[in-house]
Amino acid sequence: MISVIGYYTTQFGELWEKSLSDLIEEAINGVLKNTGLDKREIDAIFFSNMLAGVLENNLHTPSKIAEILGVNIPIFRVEAACASGGVAFHLAKIYLESKSSKTVVVVGAEKMTDYSPEETTSALASAASGEEQEAGLTFPGLYAMMANYYLQKYLCTEEDLAYVSYKNHYHGSLNDKAHFRKIISVEKVLNSPYVAYPLKVLDCCSTSDGASAVILTNNNTITKKSKRFVNLLASEVATDTISLKERKRLDEVLTTKIASDKAFVAGKVNRKKINVAELHDCFSIAEVIAMEDLGFWKKGEGGKLIKELSTMHGSNSELIINTSGGLKASGHPVGATGIKQIGEIYLQLTGQASNRQVKNAKYGLAHNVGGSGGTAVVTILGC
Amino acid sequence: MISPVKIWRRQKEIRNLLGIKGVILTWTLIYVSGKDFKKYAPYPVVLVEFENGKKAVGQLVDYDKKNLKMGERVISILRKVRESNSEDVIPYGLKFKPINTV
Repeated sequence: MISVIGYYTTQFGELWEKSLSDLIEEAINGVLKNTGLDKREIDAIFFSNMLAGVLENNLHTPSKIAEILGVNIPIFRVEAACASGGVAFHLAKIYLESKSSKTVVVVGAEKMTDYSPEETTSALASAASGEEQEAGLTFPGLYAMMANYYLQKYLCTEEDLAYVSYKNHYHGSLNDKAHFRKIISVEKVLNSPYVAYPLKVLDCCSTSDGASAVILTNNNTITKKSKRFVNLLASEVATDTISLKERKRLDEVLTTKIASDKAFVAGKVNRKKINVAELHDCFSIAEVIAMEDLGFWKKGEGGKLIKELSTMHGSNSELIINTSGGLKASGHPVGATGIKQIGEIYLQLTGQASNRQVKNAKYGLAHNVGGSGGTAVVTILGC
Repeated sequence: MISPVKIWRRQKEIRNLLGIKGVILTWTLIYVSGKDFKKYAPYPVVLVEFENGKKAVGQLVDYDKKNLKMGERVISILRKVRESNSEDVIPYGLKFKPINTV
């Protein structure tokens, strides 16, 4: 059995005093400290990052991490746009399945706020198709096309979508590592300026700096010594066309459906048993569509159901979504996000989520998406 | 720097997509763009299904607000798509305009 035995995340936000290397170093040292492990007990590191090569001419990061830590172990960099963290975690699982009694760190990091919105928008667009880039489409633009289609097809409104941001900002207010800790009203979301119609500034997650790390092990001695651990039940990855135009449907993300269906089977967990989930809410519409594609809600009902706020902390529902604040309020340091999602589920299942703790959480799910849905990773953890 | 070679490769495909009619499947209006498109914002981008069943994305030009809707009939045309700096080649590519203004 593979277990997650520890988690650490840096603050997410505009961290001008910290470089990418500083963030990676803090996250790895933090997770080692939290687990009481020495760096010599780590057999490999999986590092997720998207933009360092594009924005700051910074590649061959594995060797840089080796220098920071003073180690000579295998270190791998993984890139799958915004799903980089989830895919790195998946590859770490595969690594452990091929070797016995090993312990690995999965660390994700991104440095984004040194650059102008136009520079980061262009860099992020590198994960879209060439045709989409040539049309001037941005990531908000791609999700805006999906949102526009969804709203018209299912007779929903921009106000319905605004409840996603309202809920996730409330959760962010409970998370001291979140980029945005301010509660916002639905009216404030609706009055914020458009980024790409019908999505407004407060429908969109923010670029951010940050790093997050977890430790995975299949070494029984280390697991037994660990005070708080959860079992990795499933991690599944699916891919689809990079171009939105080639997708069969515009109101779903097929990769989410494929990855989650496989994960529920592989983990032998009924989706009704999931108590907490971190969903990839890069845009408000994305959480609504993900709830449907993961099978929690029926297709087309999400726009109405989100307004009931049943997935908000404090409701009587058996499923609470994005207690970390999601990408929306936590911020979205791209390479770190997938790890932070898994880390948040780890905190919830081990009772360490403080004032945002969901009572009696036994099973949790993390859903990490790359691009406009070209890659999706679904991870299921259980006590 | 816009690569002339990349433009040349892309243009071979674009010529086959010109002058074809289709309908808007979905659309958006981009307010915050990448750096090469900043001077054009806000601009509409449409996802179009051609009469032959193929699909493409591109900006909508020569339009009124009333044209910006799903189901609107459009035709593909060749237009300048972006501009990096005055020393660069000017890339031309696929755009759309409403049929009722043709």
